Amino acid sequence: MGEVVVARILFLAIAALGLLAALGTVLSRNLVHAALHLVGFFFCVACLFVMLEAEFLAAVQVLIYIGAVAILLMFGIMLTRNTRGDDATSLSGPWRLPGLVAGLCLFGALVFGINNAVSPSGASPWAGEAARPSLVEREGEPAWAAERRRAVEDMGRVVGEEFLTRYAMAFELAGLLLTAALVGAVALAHRDEVGAAELPPTVEALPADSAEPVGTAAS
Amino acid sequence: MVAYNYVFVGLLLLTAIGFALAPLALVALIAPRKRSLAKGDTYECGVKTHGETWVRFRIQYYIYAIMFVVFDVETVFLYPWAVAYGGLGTFALVEMVVFLALLSAGLAYAWAKGVLRWV
Amino acid sequence: MDVGSALYGTPLFAQSHRVDLTVSTCVIWGLWLIVGFAGLFPGIVAYMVWLERKVAARFQDRIGPNRVGPFGLLQSVADGLKLLVKENIVPRSADQVVHLLAPVLVLVSAFLTLAVVPFAVGLVPIDPPSGLVYLIAVSSISPLGIFLAGWSSHNKYSLLGAMRAVAQLVSYEIPQVLSTIPVVLWAGSLSLVSIFDHQVAYGWNALNPPGFLAFLTFLIASVAEVNRTPFDLPEAESEIVAGYHTEYSGMRFGLFFLAEYLGVFSVSCVATVLFLGGGTPLPFSAFPVNLLDGSVGSYLLVDGILLAVFSLKVLLFVFAMFWVRATLPRMRIDRLMNFAWKYLVPLCILNIVFAAIWYEVVVRPGALTARNWAWGMIAAGLPVVLGVQLVFRANRKLAAARAVDADWPTVGTIAEASR
Repeated sequence: MGEVVVARILFLAIAALGLLAALGTVLSRNLVHAALHLVGFFFCVACLFVMLEAEFLAAVQVLIYIGAVAILLMFGIMLTRNTRGDDATSLSGPWRLPGLVAGLCLFGALVFGINNAVSPSGASPWAGEAARPSLVEREGEPAWAAERRRAVEDMGRVVGEEFLTRYAMAFELAGLLLTAALVGAVALAHRDEVGAAELPPTVEALPADSAEPVGTAAS
Repeated sequence: MVAYNYVFVGLLLLTAIGFALAPLALVALIAPRKRSLAKGDTYECGVKTHGETWVRFRIQYYIYAIMFVVFDVETVFLYPWAVAYGGLGTFALVEMVVFLALLSAGLAYAWAKGVLRWV
Repeated sequence: MDVGSALYGTPLFAQSHRVDLTVSTCVIWGLWLIVGFAGLFPGIVAYMVWLERKVAARFQDRIGPNRVGPFGLLQSVADGLKLLVKENIVPRSADQVVHLLAPVLVLVSAFLTLAVVPFAVGLVPIDPPSGLVYLIAVSSISPLGIFLAGWSSHNKYSLLGAMRAVAQLVSYEIPQVLSTIPVVLWAGSLSLVSIFDHQVAYGWNALNPPGFLAFLTFLIASVAEVNRTPFDLPEAESEIVAGYHTEYSGMRFGLFFLAEYLGVFSVSCVATVLFLGGGTPLPFSAFPVNLLDGSVGSYLLVDGILLAVFSLKVLLFVFAMFWVRATLPRMRIDRLMNFAWKYLVPLCILNIVFAAIWYEVVVRPGALTARNWAWGMIAAGLPVVLGVQLVFRANRKLAAARAVDADWPTVGTIAEASR
């Protein structure tokens, strides 16, 4: 059972690192440092996906969260005036307690939800080692075990098949949601043509305090 | 002992970090180190740095980042579709055309609003 | 040549993310890590730098490096030694930890991408079932490193360069990723080995209309992804000193440099595997893979041929990038962003549908026949031509409506549009 011990140790190490990164996210004064800690946490989550034999999800986790959401966060930080974290970035006093309560409630809801998850096909859920299908074929195993083994071995394909058959509606709704997000962002952030036209077109960035342009675009 | 492919990725990660840090460590050992006030200055073409560096950037960067996230998520949907397509058939194609049409509508909206124009 | 027998695959690791961690696996992995990733790949990259200087010199009617060793061959060694003995200068106002982290992150991303590239039959470090997503995922880490480099330097030019670089990288990542979808669609797998196998059975992916379009898109987007001319705005030295690595000197700059050339090498490898049939010398033939008969001799012979051809193809891509650099000036940033979002992304989205047509006509019947291929050329070729026409015309029309949007002299087009 050497593998199980190695796996446990790895899990504990990754979980501990993830916790540290999460703490760093909350406690960092500097916003970019906080975002970096968050990236570290995303990476730990990707490692956990690998340990759960979901390498497709691990790759997606890195692609979406580290490759895209982190960039979005950084650009978001560059939009704010407070990039150094010198001013108060943390919550003010009266908001601390409600924040703590809300966080604990969310934690409780997640723990309850994950532990009582019902798998959609009616088979026993993945949680709990006894019900986990083996990657090695066993005699007399139920049909869902073979199905799940296929899902583990070629996750991209099975996810695709499920998307296009059982979850077709959810799939299209996801497309609609993405479009809505795009349209919403554009509508919120975009200034009207008239306003934009009045801005000097060559200024790429303006300092927060002075009106003097620091850099000019290539055009 | 059964292990996973990604064990190799982990080892490669360590190798790459080592490969990056080893020369830096060597530099710290053998390269000269003479600190001076002028050397530690920010290099902005020999002119003294003026004003705040970490400034606010225009919203345009953020819009591009949002569009990037949206399309990146889209590709994550597209990959499983492309893998499974061979085993499915016309219905899958119709579904994907609808999905792509939705996304294209988003892109067209951004285009029409003029946010795709870099100023 | 049916699909079933086309699994020429890898004898070492069948496509699965489980491997038996036997002694031989450990030895092979160790060899990959020490000989390949820590030795051979950086060596190749070092000589790519030498080659680029030679090639660029020839384009400019100069001689290039010729002092250190015969033909200047030891120039890369000399450069490496120089970087080692240079002082590492970090500005006082820089964020010290992040300043160190940034080049490491960029280099790690460049290294990790090479882990799934099948250089020849069986000559692939690992072959996870979702290899392509892995590849895209790890290569998407480098924009983060570049942003951190610019941010941590606390320098206006660095920050501007980094913001530009990231905006460019994320914009071109979308067409780069979308142009790989047709390849996945035809191979029916995300594993790069399966994609290679598919091309052994059905011909190179670049040789059919949607594949050719995807290939061109991928190449253009890849050149932009590795920040090379004409897409080298992030380090436009005439505008923003050196962009995000203005404040990097000595070995830390060397790491960025190494990562850039490693990136050039890895996108060339990936383009070869995805579109040019890996190491196969002939587009519609299983040669030399069909020579495999299980004996060690045939294996060595086949891999020798595959590796030689693979290297030639990669060299061709690398040379093309040098050529482009010696020929084209830098793009303007608004044109750069326009080109990604208004030309490449719509084209890629259309191309996915065209790829499905090609799949239905040529791949679905189960084996490559001349008749199906000819029908496919017509059924998928016409839409591709029309699609390209449509995108370019639409852009021209829209741009002509507002002179400020125009990407070219608009004298004729404005008159045309106002008529």
